[in-house]
Amino acid sequence: MRELEQLSELILREAKAQGAESAQCVVKEKETHEFNVDGGQFSLMRTLFDRSVRLTVLKGARKGTISVNSFADDAVRRAVADCIASAESAEPDEAWEFDGEPRSESFTDGAAACDTEALFARTKELTDDIAARHPKILIEQLIAEHAAERAVYRNSSGVVSRRTSGRYAFSLIYSGHEGEKSTSFFYGDVILGSLGRPFIDCALVERELSAVERQLDPVPLRGKFTGTVVLAPSALNELVLSTIYGSFVRDSCLIDGTSIWKDKLGEQVADPRFSLSFRPCAEDVVAGERWTDEGYRAADCDLIRGGKLVAFALSQYGANKTGGVRAGCDSWNPHIPAGDKTLDEIIAGIERGVLVMRFSGGQPASSGEFSGVAKNSFLIENGALAGALSETMISGCIPDMLRSLRDISSDVLREGTSCLPYIAFDGVTVSGK
Amino acid sequence: MMLDDFISAKKGLFEPGAHTELRAQRNRDRRVTLLAGDIVANTRTDTAGVCARVYRGGRYGFSSMAECGADAAERVLRAAAENAAFMNAHAPGGKPPLPVLARERRAPDAAISDPAQRVYIDFARALDDYVVQHCPKLLSRRIVATEDSMEKLLVTSDGMDAHTVLPRSYIFAVLTAETDAGVPVELFHAFGGEGTFDVRFTDPAACFAEIDTLYERLMQKREGVYADAGMKTVILGGDMTGMLAHEAVGHTVEADIVLGGSVAAHNLRKPVASELVTLTDFAHTAFGERCPLPVFVDDEGTPARDVTLIENGILTGYMNSRESAEHFGMEPRGNARAWLFSDEPLIRMRNTAVHPGRDKLEDMIASVDDGYYLLSSGNGQADTTGEFMFGVTMGYEIKNGRLGRALLDTTISGVAFEMLKTVDMVSDSVVWESSGFCGKKQPMPVGLGGPALRCKVMIGGR
Repeated sequence: MRELEQLSELILREAKAQGAESAQCVVKEKETHEFNVDGGQFSLMRTLFDRSVRLTVLKGARKGTISVNSFADDAVRRAVADCIASAESAEPDEAWEFDGEPRSESFTDGAAACDTEALFARTKELTDDIAARHPKILIEQLIAEHAAERAVYRNSSGVVSRRTSGRYAFSLIYSGHEGEKSTSFFYGDVILGSLGRPFIDCALVERELSAVERQLDPVPLRGKFTGTVVLAPSALNELVLSTIYGSFVRDSCLIDGTSIWKDKLGEQVADPRFSLSFRPCAEDVVAGERWTDEGYRAADCDLIRGGKLVAFALSQYGANKTGGVRAGCDSWNPHIPAGDKTLDEIIAGIERGVLVMRFSGGQPASSGEFSGVAKNSFLIENGALAGALSETMISGCIPDMLRSLRDISSDVLREGTSCLPYIAFDGVTVSGK
Repeated sequence: MMLDDFISAKKGLFEPGAHTELRAQRNRDRRVTLLAGDIVANTRTDTAGVCARVYRGGRYGFSSMAECGADAAERVLRAAAENAAFMNAHAPGGKPPLPVLARERRAPDAAISDPAQRVYIDFARALDDYVVQHCPKLLSRRIVATEDSMEKLLVTSDGMDAHTVLPRSYIFAVLTAETDAGVPVELFHAFGGEGTFDVRFTDPAACFAEIDTLYERLMQKREGVYADAGMKTVILGGDMTGMLAHEAVGHTVEADIVLGGSVAAHNLRKPVASELVTLTDFAHTAFGERCPLPVFVDDEGTPARDVTLIENGILTGYMNSRESAEHFGMEPRGNARAWLFSDEPLIRMRNTAVHPGRDKLEDMIASVDDGYYLLSSGNGQADTTGEFMFGVTMGYEIKNGRLGRALLDTTISGVAFEMLKTVDMVSDSVVWESSGFCGKKQPMPVGLGGPALRCKVMIGGR
């Protein structure tokens, strides 16, 4: 860590010497160990030794940013000069700002060292568990890894943050097969602080494998109806939360005025049972963000509380441009409080609808209008799952759905970055052939 | 500045009996983003390093290091060999060595320029000024000027040693307007292709006509209507056909996806499309011209050649790595590509396109009584079953053989090997697109293209 600290000092000193009025840099070293399974067979072991420097300078309120992956003196000096030249080419914008309150802090998160034998054993165990318990499942790809990182953030206002972190992770892509019949593929990613549990028992892995096995005989939906759609946590994340984040509450859509929520702060935008926060510091987030891109210490923050929009996800730059308030973090760690019904109880109350495990759709419009394919999904009829669906599309408007929320499940997905329930929405158009 | 060759001298360290690749690589990315006139991104990124991959007994070991030097090359060679040994000890593959490729050498490409950041800023500013002056009814605008490039130096235990460069540059223009009801509508266009930014973009005025077309279409779209959901006869424009070729067919015939259970596993040498459909993954030359993003050698040292995937409606082949080609009894044709120095080669498409037919686009539109002409796609995804989904960002109604009102954003879907059997007209000209990244385990620049197709698909809407 001392070497990284010295390098970060040198970089800022060089930036100052070359004319920067203020500057910040992040210096990192990372080591990754990874096993790959392809088509159900072990295929590859990787070991990666990475490093990076990211420098941002402000000169005359002009900003330039450069990233390189060499620590060599000449490369660093060249990078600083290139960064200064980039800033000098830009136009002034007084909204750029880094954290100006000096602090010195250190963080240690997760498992810093990789237990390679144990990681291989857990990976092998998952392939064996799937073969034994879910014989119709074919693993398209399984990647299991450990990543250890040492990083230093430093800026010219006297902020220094150091972090040593490590995490295990696996991602699994698979589909069901029986003869020439096959299901849609499904996937999930899980991040872990340790190897304490079998992978198949983590997050919703076992439940999702079982569900995909039951999708081998899907039928296309005939006709069109308006009904209830239950979004599984991953579909909720991909469709609803990414649209809220990307189109309604972030810097770009608020700076350029395209957010349809730009004038909704303090107003009811969702059902009162719906709350949404970003929580990098939560216990169930593994090695979450510790400082923002502008050098502020990362903190949990609420966006929607009791259905009311209470904050935007603004950076300090975005806050300065819009007259708003900076959010506590940059990272994507959504948390939605669970409801009080199980998924089965929610389904039991639905006359006609669809349970959507995965959504494959076009980028929703700035208005929140969307349409896409309900993948790995089941028809719900008379309070029960009636069978798997193929070639079924859903369409609707996300702001309308948030106000037509029907139920939030007590079952939640915790996969190391978020905590998300199943949510049922009324009034969604479901169409088939 | 080109990479120095610090790896050729390390060939003597390759283990006998194993297939070994040693690759030094540099990637660079330059980007300027103007949002409503403000520079919100002004970044330069350079990434360089060395990696080695060793294949022994049916298992690969890989290692990479963020350094360009002789010591780093030796360290990654050792680590890759150790990883291959670990895999063979813990999960023995028991396979024989890969068939040996002939030794060849591809000479270094010409050095590429590295324009100063001011070049990107000035060009983006000129386009932004034009938009402000000529597109009065906008709610917002975003102009991005960008270049990314890969330079690779590869030595292999057998096959081709090579030094290659692939730069590409683009302008992205995103315009947003409001409907009369105050709902934002957006339209996007990318222009550019192979080459460094200073070579590709010399005069902002050359882009003005495309900006005008984009704005005209956006004004039509803000008056647009929702598509009527259901199964419809449509004319897919060339951009949409390219997306279909890549997402809905291309991915299902990548051999690693076939081994992972794709629908193509059961359809080789069977009819999967109308006889009017022929589809090829081109290496570097297509229809007599240089491809948008030409590939001459892959990262396993295999010389790149075309792969015919569908010929007159029959599924004829898969895209392979050296290992998967051996499994399927096919020839490797240069599809194993890596994005960064820290990435291993994966089976990737290069320039994937449907071949042109004999129909005129205007005749195709005139032949549709009630349907849609779908021009542009925002994104696309496909399943291993061949079921696909594309976002449609620009399209028109067709009523009684004439173009009607523009469409608001919608989505189309279908099952590729069923939908392609409904193709009954194919236009005589090909449109290429190359600005995006294909996402697999790693991103990868790819070209995709095709003619207009008349076919039936499911369309989303209200």
